[in-house]
Parts: sequence; structure tokens; C-alpha cells
Amino acid sequence: MKLSLTVNGQATTLEAEPRTHLADLLRGELLLTGTHIGCEHGVCGACTVEVDGAPARSCLLHAGACAGASVRSIEGFAEDPVMAALREGFSAEHALQCGYCTPGMLVVARDIVLRLPHADEARVREELAGNLCRCTGYRGIVRAILGVLAARRGAAT
Amino acid sequence: MTAPRSGHGVGASLRRKEDARFLLGRGRYVGDIRPAGTLEVAFLRSPVAHARLLGVTKPAGAEQRVFVAADLPEIGPIRANSALPGFRVSEQPALAQGKLRHVGEVIAACVAPSRAEAEDLVAACELDYAALPVVSDMLAARAPGAPLIHEHWPDNAFLETRRDEDLSDLDAVAAAKVVRRLRTARQSMAPIEGRGVLAEWDPRLEQLVVTTATQQPHVTKTGLAECLGLDEGQIRVVSPDVGGGFGYKAILLAEELACAALAMRLGRPVRWLEDRLEQLTANANCREHHYEVTAWADAGGKLLGVEVNATVDAGAYSAYPFSACLEAAQIGSIFPGPYTLPRFRFHTVSACTNKPPILPYRGVARTGVCYAMETTLDALARQLKLPPEQVRQANLVPPEAMPYRNLVGKVFDSGDYPEALRRAVAAVDVAGIRARQAAGEAVGFGLAVFCEQGAHGTSVYHGWGIPFVPGFEQAQARFTPDGVLEIRTGVHSHGQGLETTLAQVAHQILGVDPARVRVVHGDTALTPYSTGTWGSRAMVMAGGAVAEACTQLGERALAIGAALLQAPRAACVLRDGAVHAGEAKVTLDQVARTWFRSPQNLPADVDRGGLEVTAGYRPDPDTGTHSYAAHAVVAKVDTETGCVTLESYVIVEDGGTLVNPMIVDGQVLGGTAQGIGTALYEEMPFDSEGQPLAGTLADYLLPGATEVPDIRIDHMETPSPWTRFGQKGIGESGAIGPPAAILNAINDALAGRGAEVLDLPATPARVLAAIERALA
Repeated sequence: MKLSLTVNGQATTLEAEPRTHLADLLRGELLLTGTHIGCEHGVCGACTVEVDGAPARSCLLHAGACAGASVRSIEGFAEDPVMAALREGFSAEHALQCGYCTPGMLVVARDIVLRLPHADEARVREELAGNLCRCTGYRGIVRAILGVLAARRGAAT
Repeated sequence: MTAPRSGHGVGASLRRKEDARFLLGRGRYVGDIRPAGTLEVAFLRSPVAHARLLGVTKPAGAEQRVFVAADLPEIGPIRANSALPGFRVSEQPALAQGKLRHVGEVIAACVAPSRAEAEDLVAACELDYAALPVVSDMLAARAPGAPLIHEHWPDNAFLETRRDEDLSDLDAVAAAKVVRRLRTARQSMAPIEGRGVLAEWDPRLEQLVVTTATQQPHVTKTGLAECLGLDEGQIRVVSPDVGGGFGYKAILLAEELACAALAMRLGRPVRWLEDRLEQLTANANCREHHYEVTAWADAGGKLLGVEVNATVDAGAYSAYPFSACLEAAQIGSIFPGPYTLPRFRFHTVSACTNKPPILPYRGVARTGVCYAMETTLDALARQLKLPPEQVRQANLVPPEAMPYRNLVGKVFDSGDYPEALRRAVAAVDVAGIRARQAAGEAVGFGLAVFCEQGAHGTSVYHGWGIPFVPGFEQAQARFTPDGVLEIRTGVHSHGQGLETTLAQVAHQILGVDPARVRVVHGDTALTPYSTGTWGSRAMVMAGGAVAEACTQLGERALAIGAALLQAPRAACVLRDGAVHAGEAKVTLDQVARTWFRSPQNLPADVDRGGLEVTAGYRPDPDTGTHSYAAHAVVAKVDTETGCVTLESYVIVEDGGTLVNPMIVDGQVLGGTAQGIGTALYEEMPFDSEGQPLAGTLADYLLPGATEVPDIRIDHMETPSPWTRFGQKGIGESGAIGPPAAILNAINDALAGRGAEVLDLPATPARVLAAIERALA
């Protein structure tokens, strides 16, 4: 099937098997390999991208469901200021080790920061429950997000 | 020496160099690499645990795209032998031959332009087999008349080991005796990235290039050469970024052999990427132990003796290179742990079952051993009505005994175990917990003390006689013409941050800015041979080797620098990345430029080896470092639902000199999260037919951010007297203690109800069953 969608701000038309999922499309057809595949059944969160402004599991979206959608993968956040703050925080708090869950984790972290400016530690942990990290034990990830939240609240006052 | 805590060298919590690419999604894993013309592989795998394989009918028209064992006779069997007396050899075919011995065993490789099409071919294959009775439990495997998995063996055991010591007099003299039967579940290590292999044949070099997610590129190369009958020079193994290892990627894979043979036959790149279903159902391959422990103690809690009968479910084959016996055979030597055990009797069995071959998962046998020993000590404490810390203090190796050799010959290098325990207990409000218990609350306090042998080398491994014995670890240090320092190492970094920590070591010796140090790893064509990253060895072994190579390189640079400064060599020092003679200095950049681009300025007696050094390193003695830790947990049990909540978690840890404390904390935290999974959540159940019952991550539960508490870490830093900077291996430590500490806390919480949970993980069902047993 022919599929038109916007990826990282660029209108794209490509040919796809209907059974192909969005993660494979991004990685295989568009060579956007920053989106990682972990379970392909929507539990681990490694493949999380932004679809029409909200985080989504790219392994659960079939090509047909993406027609007309606006998709933003980790590569599309390179110039984003919130993501820049999160990258800085992730590095400072040692929130990544092997790096495999990191792109999906960052997309969710950015959503938390923008949607829940007053989130406390318990809420951040709850919001991260859909993203598995096998390396870090989460402490650095939670601290990095809380740090960015605090800095933004400080800047807003 | 304890290193300074400043600058960028040993002891600095330097931010990781590798973070930049990962944070931008620019890491490069096997699945990200797909050369033009790549064929994807899907494997037809055994749907049954034990059967005679009668045949595979290939889909009509696709006969040339489906490969069974008979189609690829060039692949020899995987043999991971051990020289331990009595070890029975299993031959693991890359593609099943004659028999099927576990669910998920590879039977046929189907190739197609896409994975989806390859899976279609798998679905169209017809498999003919005759089911055999299944051995799904390690204890049943040993029962008389059990079906034989390897029919030429007399029974289903890879190996038995024992230490006979008569303990029959202890019943009469002991103030307390406890007997416990304990079981730990089979687990999947579950790195978020699965395994993956891309094999290509380079006709120009006549070389097989295998890009594979491995912790041990050089060992994989050796294994491929052995099984494919190639010279090692004809094989290059590349391990790019790897999304978590934990032991799961320290193995020679049947899938690697199949892809390699197919790439050579078809002249096309051939790739296989493991999916989660394959990982969970074909490769849940670790941790499953059973213990019968008997312990005797005096009235003060001092152990008089311990007897342990341990069985490990080793699965159907001996995996390469660590073999089927690494866990069970080690239990005898590590069971005494950090304690001065006076008398000890053991018997261990590596049981063969119709399950995937066992692999050593982070902590290896120690996680089970620590669980068995520490829960037994708590049972003794309850019987003697002594605080659990008192029983441990009565038995811990005292600091003044270091270095200490225990009754089974294990040598402990340094440390103050009692102090670690004191600090851990002091960090918990034990009186507050006792008050809450007195008020009827099901809250408990649990401890675990353990040590982790790491970086053990030739003197330990030669006796095992497995396919490799680690020797001198080598590293190469060399300058490029513009003065960048390249460090080449045969270990592999897959989360440990070695691109940073080895640069810190180089900086410590040569003063080169870590930003100008490039650590090259993960390619057998570019790096010295190494057994790779396992056994908490990289920072001790590769760190020592990098230090040695940089030291020798510094000597050569000093000689050239002295000539450029026209100063006597003895008057020159190497400092801050430059050769200094009084006020004058010449930078290492200038030294490098001179060697490569202005050789006319070199001294006549210059070392013709130039600015490139390969050096080897091994600690002396090489019996390994012993990091150690005390874990203290407060857990609350909901006696209605059986759910356990971790209220607090404290770790006092000693990894000797810490090269990068931030990274060490990360290792400890991540390991502890995995240990929490072992304690409370992770379990791959198998039914009586050997079928794995958890096929998704919604069934096989990994700890998430809400299950892991904010863990507090307190570091002690007792240098190892035997390593280059005093560093100790500590990468696996966190995964060892949690099951013991958490179960002790649960059982402390339930003690007032007379209930005790014995098996891992402590799921709500097991907790409720224990409470119900106590009421009955």
C-alpha cells in the first residue's frame, strides 16, 4: 500500500506492506534507527515515538493506521530545547548505560516534563511504568526528569 | 593507593563519553546494520521439549530457502567440555539432528528478503516428530528410571561434585540446627535488546565477517572457527553497540553458526534478529537452583558446620564457552561466602533437563548461594532468638585475617566485612520496625552479606578446563599523528562505560585529556585477543593492561620529548600530557607529530617500536578480587493480597578503589534492580511437558520504575592489594544480594504469624500460600 505521513517535519510517501509496523517503517524504510525495538508487543516502551503530539508505541501501530499522521522519532528532537535539557540531565545523573531504552525513555520523559510540570517522584515513577530499563535501576532517569522539572519551575517563577 | 578524587583520572565521576551518541539515537546496534542484499532469517524451532526428529517437509517451491542440518554439514557441533573429573560431554548441533531436546531448539533456517516473509516460510514448513517423555524438573531428572536426554549417558547429570566431611557429631553439640529446602526460579536475563547476528563473506579477504551482539568477540571467533573448520584468520567478529548483556550475550550461538554457514553458501549478507518471543520461550536459561541446607550453630550463633546438597537445572546442552557446570560446580567453593565456616560438606549436581542450556547470569551461582546461606542464617537467628546481625557478626571473616584463605581454598584479598554490616544495620531504624511489629504490622527487616569474586584468572580457570582460560589481558596504546591516544582493548563495553573509564586510566598515566582518548573495542580485527567482558573482570584486567601499555608508551614519548627539549632524559618528567624539563615543555601532540611526520628530529637511539605499545597484564596473585556488600531491606507485606512493598533499601558496598564512582553506583543500582526482579517478580514457569509458560513481557515481569525503590548506597573503599590501582570487580555485585535480603525481610515480617516463604520469586501467590500453611 502507498502511505503518506509526516516524519520529523518532512512529508513522506512510501510503499509499505499493511502488516508492517511503524517501528519497522522508520527503521527499515527511512533509516531512522534511533527508534529501537524491544518486545513488539507494547510492554517495554523502547520503540516509543511521538505520534500527533503524544507518545505512542511504534511497534503497535500498523502502517495503515499511520496515514496522515505526524510522527516524531528521537532524531526529530535533536534541536528541541526540552530534549536538550533532558539529554544534559540524563548524562549528569547517569540515566543510561547500554543506551537501548534511552530514545523511548527520552520521548516519554519529555512528555512528562511538558504535561505534568508539578509531578513529584512518585508520579514520575508511575508515568515511567510503561518503559523498561534493564541497566540503570531507574534512579538516574527519575532524578534527571525531576531535575528538569525543578529547573523549569524555577525558570517560570 | 587510593586515587585522588579530582581531575579526570582514576577516582573521578567523569560523565560518560558514550552518552552523546546514545542520547541522540545514534548508537549503532546489530539491528541497525543492513547491507544491500541482506537476507533475513527466521528459524523453525522445536515446539516440544523432547522428541525424535523425523523430518521437515519444506514448502513447495521454497526448497532452496529452507535449510536443515543435512543441508549444512559444514557446521560441526558445539562442544563446551570441562576437564572436571566426571564431566559428561554433550554435543549441541547448530540445527537439530536426530532428537529435539528443548522447546525452541533450532531445527531449520528459513531465508527471505524480509523477516516477515521468512516467518511465512517457517509457518509453511511441516515438522514430523515422535514425542518422548519429558524431563521438566531437575529433581525428577535424577529419579530412577527418568527418561534419558542424552541416551548414551547413564543418567541425567553433566557433573556431580562433592566434599565429604563427617558432620554427624554436630547434632549432639549444637545449640541450634536448621534444615531448609529452597528453590529459585528459572529466569530470562531479558536485556532490552535481543541477540542479533549479521554474517557476510568478504570474497576479497576470503574472510567471514560476523557482526553479532556479544560480550566476547574473540571467544566467539574461536568458537566459530572450531565449529566451521576455518582458520581464525578467516573470521572477523564485530560487536557493535550492544543493548545489555548480563551474561545473555556471552555464548557461541547456534544462530551465529547457521547465519555464518548461510552467508558463505549464498554469497549474500544473512541476518537474524531475535524477537522477544524467541528470547522468552527458547532462551529462559538461568538461575534455577534447588538447595537442601543443614546448618548447626552454637548458642552465640557461631556456625559449627554446614551441609548443602545443591542441584542446578543446567538444561539440555553445555553452552559454549562457560559449560553446563559453571554454576553447580562453583556452589561448593562459594557457599561459605564471607564467613569463617569451620566444617563443610557438600554435594552438587548439574542436572540435565529438557530446557534451554543454562548460562551464567550476572552474579552467576552467587545469587542462589547467597539466598540459601543468608536465609539459613536468619532461620538460625530466629531459632536462637538472636538478632540476625549478631549471628552474622559471629561468623564474618574479620579484617585482621585478610588476606584470608577459607576451608575450601578461596582467597579473600582485603576488606572489613563486619564494618559493612554495622553500617548497613545502623542505616535502618530497626527499633522502629520492632515497635511496628509489636503493634501487629507485617513489616520486616532483612539482611544479606556476601562477597563477589571477580577478575579471577588463570590459576582459577585452568582447573575448570572449559573452552577458554583467561591469561594475560592485553591492551594496545598508540598515538595517531595528530596526538590522539587510541586505546585498543579486546573486552567489550555494553553499558559499563568502558569508553570512559579506560580513558580515565589512560589519563591517569599519560595526562592526555579523556576527550582526546579514543577507546576502540568490539572488533577482533582491531583489538588484542581477550576472553572479553564477563566475571566482573574488565576494570581490573583491561584497566591494568591499559595502565601498563600507557606506562610503556609514556617511556617512549619521554625519550622523544627529552631529545626535542635537548635535556637529559633523567631530567624530564611526563605530566599533564606533556614532557617537561624545568620550565620547558613539549606536548605529547608534538611528540606524536615528530615520530610520524618529522622523523628527522628523532634521537638516534629512539625506540623503533614507535608510539605504539601492546602490553599484557595479570594481577599477582590472580585468584581474583573480592568486593563485598551488606544489603539491608525494610519490606512490608500485605497479608490480604500477598503483595510486598520495599520501604527502604540500603547497600554498603566495597569495590576497592573506584575508577569512576558514578559508574560504579550505576552498576550497583542496575544489578540491584535485577536482583529485585529475581526476588519478587521474574519467573519462567515450565509445565510438566517442558513448555515455557511466559511468552510476553506481560507474563514475564521485569521490575519497572515503580517496583524499584530509591536505593541508598554507602561506599567503603578498601583497595585490593593485588590490582593496579586497588580496584575490584564489582559489576555483578548488586544482583547477588537482593533475593536474600528481601526474603529475609518478608520472613521477618511474617515471623509473628509463623509463616516462611522458601521459594523465589516471592510472588503474591507464594506469600499467601506461606501464610495459609502457617494457619493450617
